[in-house]
Amino acid sequence: MTSEYAIETVYTRNRFVFKIFSSGWSKRELRAVDDISLKVPRGSTYGLLGPNGAGKTTFVKMLLSCAKPTSGLARVFGRDTREPEARRPIGYLPENHRFPTYMTGWDMLDFYGALSGMEKAKRRARIPELLNLVGLDERAHQLRLGKYSKGMLQRVGLAQALIHSPDLLILDEPSDGVDPVGRKQIRDVLQALEQKGVTIFLNSHLLAEVELFCREVAIIQKGKLALAGSVEALTQGSGYRVEGLNVPETLRSEVAVGARGVSSMNGTLQLMFATREQANHAVDLLRGGQCEIETFSRTRSTLEEVFMKTVDPQAVNE
Amino acid sequence: MNATLALIGDTFREAFARRIFWGFFACCTALLLFLMFIMRVDVVQGALATVSIFGNSLTSTSPERLVRQTQSVIAMVMYFAGMALSVFASAGLVASVFEPGRIELLLSKPVSRPHLLLGRYAGNVLVVSANILYLVVGSWIIFGVKTGVWGTGFLLSSLCTIFIFAVLLAVIVLVGVLWDSSAVAIMVTFAIMIVTPILAAKSTIERLLSSEWSRDVVRTLYAILPKTWDVAVIIQRLIMKEPVASWEPLWTTAIFGLVVLACGLWRFQKRSF
Repeated sequence: MTSEYAIETVYTRNRFVFKIFSSGWSKRELRAVDDISLKVPRGSTYGLLGPNGAGKTTFVKMLLSCAKPTSGLARVFGRDTREPEARRPIGYLPENHRFPTYMTGWDMLDFYGALSGMEKAKRRARIPELLNLVGLDERAHQLRLGKYSKGMLQRVGLAQALIHSPDLLILDEPSDGVDPVGRKQIRDVLQALEQKGVTIFLNSHLLAEVELFCREVAIIQKGKLALAGSVEALTQGSGYRVEGLNVPETLRSEVAVGARGVSSMNGTLQLMFATREQANHAVDLLRGGQCEIETFSRTRSTLEEVFMKTVDPQAVNE
Repeated sequence: MNATLALIGDTFREAFARRIFWGFFACCTALLLFLMFIMRVDVVQGALATVSIFGNSLTSTSPERLVRQTQSVIAMVMYFAGMALSVFASAGLVASVFEPGRIELLLSKPVSRPHLLLGRYAGNVLVVSANILYLVVGSWIIFGVKTGVWGTGFLLSSLCTIFIFAVLLAVIVLVGVLWDSSAVAIMVTFAIMIVTPILAAKSTIERLLSSEWSRDVVRTLYAILPKTWDVAVIIQRLIMKEPVASWEPLWTTAIFGLVVLACGLWRFQKRSF
């Protein structure tokens, strides 16, 4: 494992990762993933976002070599994932998983642990530890998966992905169907793994969750990489916010000149400016009027706003 | 080795859960109990006096032939009826692996695709083999204990039956990989099981056909497809201790099975899920 990247797409046959599906007899082509170049640094927490049908799941499947790229290839820790050994450091939780319902939680972890190359003694020691970690009690250990609730299946699925202590965790909608308490537990587990240096690649629709957990994100739309960068940089707004206390009515209209947004709540006047100069001028006026300055800061966007601007700019403008 | 054992164990577990294994086991047990009750053997001064099977008594000079004939009947029932049931049961076990949400997880593990498919294939063959051997060895012991006839032909017949099942399972695997459908796999395999005994009478069919090209079609199909009828004849001859005229049906069937399995593995290796 020499590469500095946990995941990287590689350029072959004039393209990065590229996937065309042909449909039926008509052979109509659909570009599911179109020339995506992505590098996920080792030890990072990376979110993959995109609307339905954007190509996220196909991209993840290509990372795991479940789907064969038409051109380009994916590497994990520097190794081509078409080689079985390259997949050893990967723990994966698919989105619409269908775990064998005839197995108990214990059996399932034992089975996938064996497929991951773990010795029996190690599996025996690791399974109860993991089931407890994801919040499944003793009764659940011996209960058939067919009797599990959606949330319990997600938990045992996460345990399955962690069974062989992977260095890279690829999670497709990990908290789907899990209650808020369970989500918090899952987030805690993932944060603990992040502390240990495990790279976490998260594919999720829950933007707030991605914003809360991931340091970096990529947004895919119509199979193409639309945006990539750190959450900090992407949510960094372009404007400035000034909040003043006890602003007299006579001053309000004067300081609001040039502001692109004005609001007032509980005696606090909030002003949004496009430039630093405008904001500074407003502060000067407020200080001149003997008003208290409560806040002077750069505005921030939510990840949802960034996402919407990227995938549907018209809707945002409207 | 861990992964292979896990895949085989998983196939057994699924066969248990789907009641496939236990269904076979119950049928085999019923047949063994039936055999125990229908066989009556009279021993006079340490030697066989009379043997009766299905109520037919024979003198002490022909018990061995009677036992072999009965074993031959059991072997044929197992070969044709048991095979049909096994194909029916196994098609689901193969197709279930390709279910979306299950296959992705299997493929994400550090196990090669051929290894995954062959592990499942081996598990399936072992599930059916366990029941065939249970029935054959069980009835062989019953016959042996009651009559003193301990021929190996009947035991060898079980290996031929397992072999033919393994060949038909290769067809199920190929169809499963191509179309993810247990129903199509059953239809194709049953078609082979129906067509191949008809093709075995190729000399008669050839006489009935007027054109040379249609005779060529029959000859080609006979040459390519597994020779289930001819293998059944070999089984009967082994049991009856008669010389086998030709082993060609076995090795040509083996080639068919290997080619079909290789095609299944190749397609599985190339396929996107």
